[in-house]
Amino acid sequence: MLFLQLVINGLQLGAIYALTAVGFSLIFGATKVFHVAHGAAFTIAAYLFWWIFTVLHIAWPVAVLAAVVASVVFGLAMERFIYRPIQRHEGAFFTVFIAAFGVQIIIQNLTGSVFGRGFASVTTSLSHSVEVLPGLFVAPIAWISLLIALVVFTALSLYLSRTHTGMAMRALSENPDLIRVFGLDPGRVAQCAFGIGSAMVVPGAILTSMTAGLNPAIGAHVMLISLAATIVGGIGSLRGAACGGFLLGLAENLALWRLDPQWSEAVTFVVLFLFIIFRPSGFFGRPQAAK
Amino acid sequence: MRLVRSLLFVAASFVALSSARAQDVIKIGADLPMSGPNAEYGELFGAAANLAVEHANADKMLSKKLVIQFEDSQATPQQGVVAMNKLVSVEKVPFVLSAFTGVSKAIAPVGDRAKVVSVNGGGIGPDLAELGEYFWNVIPLVNLEIRVMAPYLVQERGFKRIALIYVDDPAGEAINKELAENVPKAGGQLVAQLQIPRNAQQFTSIAARVRGANPDLVFIASFGAQQAQIVKQLRDNGVSQQLAGYSVFSSPTVTELPEAKGALFPTQSVDWSAPGMSQRVAKDWKAKTGKDPSFFVANYYNAVMVFVTLAQALEKSGQPITGENLLKQRKATGTFDLVGGKMEFLPNGSVSMPIQINEVDGGAGKVVKAGTMAK
Repeated sequence: MLFLQLVINGLQLGAIYALTAVGFSLIFGATKVFHVAHGAAFTIAAYLFWWIFTVLHIAWPVAVLAAVVASVVFGLAMERFIYRPIQRHEGAFFTVFIAAFGVQIIIQNLTGSVFGRGFASVTTSLSHSVEVLPGLFVAPIAWISLLIALVVFTALSLYLSRTHTGMAMRALSENPDLIRVFGLDPGRVAQCAFGIGSAMVVPGAILTSMTAGLNPAIGAHVMLISLAATIVGGIGSLRGAACGGFLLGLAENLALWRLDPQWSEAVTFVVLFLFIIFRPSGFFGRPQAAK
Repeated sequence: MRLVRSLLFVAASFVALSSARAQDVIKIGADLPMSGPNAEYGELFGAAANLAVEHANADKMLSKKLVIQFEDSQATPQQGVVAMNKLVSVEKVPFVLSAFTGVSKAIAPVGDRAKVVSVNGGGIGPDLAELGEYFWNVIPLVNLEIRVMAPYLVQERGFKRIALIYVDDPAGEAINKELAENVPKAGGQLVAQLQIPRNAQQFTSIAARVRGANPDLVFIASFGAQQAQIVKQLRDNGVSQQLAGYSVFSSPTVTELPEAKGALFPTQSVDWSAPGMSQRVAKDWKAKTGKDPSFFVANYYNAVMVFVTLAQALEKSGQPITGENLLKQRKATGTFDLVGGKMEFLPNGSVSMPIQINEVDGGAGKVVKAGTMAK
């Protein structure tokens, strides 16, 4: 029964990781910007939802909407005011990384100053487990997490394959000039990628505020997992990032089946190293020759 | 050439001005977490230390204004050492406030080499009593807490089977060692010892392991946001047994958590109703924060007041305020009048105080067993 419990816990956690990783992968895949501040969007969305719903006691749809707006505005602002000017001048990967990392730290400290540096969580009956079988406890939020992940991934796949902007987003990473030929503005398409990618942190952020709870430094952890999931899944592959997120969630939990708990996070990175060594292109990434 | 001369003049004036300003004040250091997941402790400890500075300056206890130079340890040993080096080498302070077992152990050799006193009011690892002459503690260490807590839980409350979740750091290790020794001695059994990484945030599967061990009580030995995350996730995932922790359970992040209600934790006894300093601190703290002070407030207030008392004596005898002189003066001073009553240092620079057991009640905690000395 412990094994089944760990599988369910792993899937619930994997859904949150997958949702966050897919947002990061979408942005990186389309724009080739290493958006380390993706974790900051997660922090903003999570704290704003918590503050509006738990502190101000305003209805949850309003809190969700505010979280979506805030994370999208953050993503667009990063693209417009941080990444674009850097890329216009010299566009070095390392400069972009440091700028994004700096923003991540600023947001972490601002969150602590504005919302407090302690623990924050949304109290809800959805996170309370019930014993569905002897020794097997499942909370309603586990099913909700999986359902949300399924709906979001389906909607995103349809958007990317059936709409002009979605197809342009996929084309942007391959050939920006081709997008211009079709009369589209690569800047606009990049903004779309940042907007949608940032919005995708919101479900994971809200679910985390209800299950694990929040602290201002949570963005760094989220970013680490998103990055690992993206590499495991194959850089630029959304399907891969989703699978990577689920795999890491499962690995982190199933490690407890046979190992002591202090190894659970290490197992995540063992999985990552194994992929880097034996399958560097990840689940669905395309092998690339060194230029 | 003229430009170079002008620049040199401006630089020299700036240095002279800074040095004059530095001479107008007496500066001590604070190596506390101001960012990261444990920043709430730095905020709390710093506010308590600042209140002591405010009182000392208002009462003109020293010849010059006392100020604290804060540096961010992020509650990590590496960053703590960087901050300590700056305080010792650049700021040249004679006295530094410290916190967290790992950080304190890392900075102690730096202080020892430079003959700078470090005073811990928040870390609880038992080996903090053995870090040399220049490292002092104004908090009773965790071995004393566990020696009072274990017999209370097992013998007085009947929690015979105890599961421990402890963090992979010196404080967690120390608690594991103390419980492994003291729980069987009290007639109980440690049925699970689950070590968790410092950065872990997910504990749903730990809850499954705890349920499997079927304990009467779950003892949580972590700190910061992590301990609150553990409490919430245990309660959310079917662990309904009694919860307990050590003194850091008194932080608002746990005491204000609905899921933590009823949890037991030990702290040193502080009589806030004692006339004089205790009442003044309790009143001013409440006025500033709207909350009752915890024992952490007493510790960091006391740490600064220990410095003020010693510095006052050094000024009176015309000696400079250096780490070396502070140590000599501490050895010459018998007892200190501080928050909670009189305090005396043991020869190893730590203190022994009565330990009380509290229950989380949504506020500062309800005392369920009055203070007793550890055996």
